[in-house]
Amino acid sequence: MSTALSQAVMTLAVCCMGESRRGWALAMQIEFEAAAAEGRSLRFAIGCLAAAWRELLVREEGRFVLTSYALALGLMIPMAALQIGCALLGLPYLYPGQKGLAGALLEGGTHEALLRGVYQAAVPSLAVLLLLLGVAHLRIAWAMLEHDWSRVTRTGTLMLAGAATLVIFMGALFLDGTQALLQVAVLVVELATVSVVARWHAQLFPAALAEDSVR
Amino acid sequence: MLRKRRPSKQMRLLLEAMSAQRLQWRHGYDLMKETGLSSGTLYPLLMRMTDQGLVEAEWQEPAQPGRPARHAYRLTAEGFALALAMAEGCGDVPSTGALA
Repeated sequence: MSTALSQAVMTLAVCCMGESRRGWALAMQIEFEAAAAEGRSLRFAIGCLAAAWRELLVREEGRFVLTSYALALGLMIPMAALQIGCALLGLPYLYPGQKGLAGALLEGGTHEALLRGVYQAAVPSLAVLLLLLGVAHLRIAWAMLEHDWSRVTRTGTLMLAGAATLVIFMGALFLDGTQALLQVAVLVVELATVSVVARWHAQLFPAALAEDSVR
Repeated sequence: MLRKRRPSKQMRLLLEAMSAQRLQWRHGYDLMKETGLSSGTLYPLLMRMTDQGLVEAEWQEPAQPGRPARHAYRLTAEGFALALAMAEGCGDVPSTGALA
């Protein structure tokens, strides 16, 4: 149990070390075996993890990694959850008053009989569009963390197209698009931030950028 | 202008341990045991000192076949000079990080 735990902590420490400290991470991992042979593996591994975190904060490369993860965990994944939730739970946040599908179908409203059929036909397409946008948020987060900028660009373009379609679609149905517009605004901010992160990555690792452009 | 600062207590310990056997290559775990520093203190210190040119590092072939190569460290001439200056009570190092 303790061996498995210390091994896991050591693996985490190695993963947290930046690219430029890869050799040091390997050096620590090899010394870990010497510490394990003397029964001090957990203490050694915790120390290495602390060292890796300290390096993350001290070095620009580390701050870049932290920023990327903060963007993914703090904005992209919540946006994905919101949009997938909207799609799967009857779009509760997308319509004014947060009444969800019932609100969209004008239940109890004067126009209910007239418009209900149209809206019922439109809702599956809206839901699929939102679901795709939510999944695209997860995809772009993953691509960003992998520094696959060509995939980020492709996904971002598709997301913008999808979000614009959503707003136009809702406009054509005379639905209040305030929430959809808000989501588009968040998407624009998100993509702008991703482009800043991409530029930062290009400054830090020019070789990786050259390799990416060859692909 | 490069700011100079006094070496930390941990750095002094490490310099002292490494300067005692100036030309001998030392492994990280051995240095930990000798100085009493934790891996969380020793490795950032070694990284910083290597960046500053005070310590040199190299991969050494294992003593026993089948074992992985180990990273070994020793003081550079500059590091040794700093250790000597410190022993005389007048050593300063360029400040590039929180640990130096």
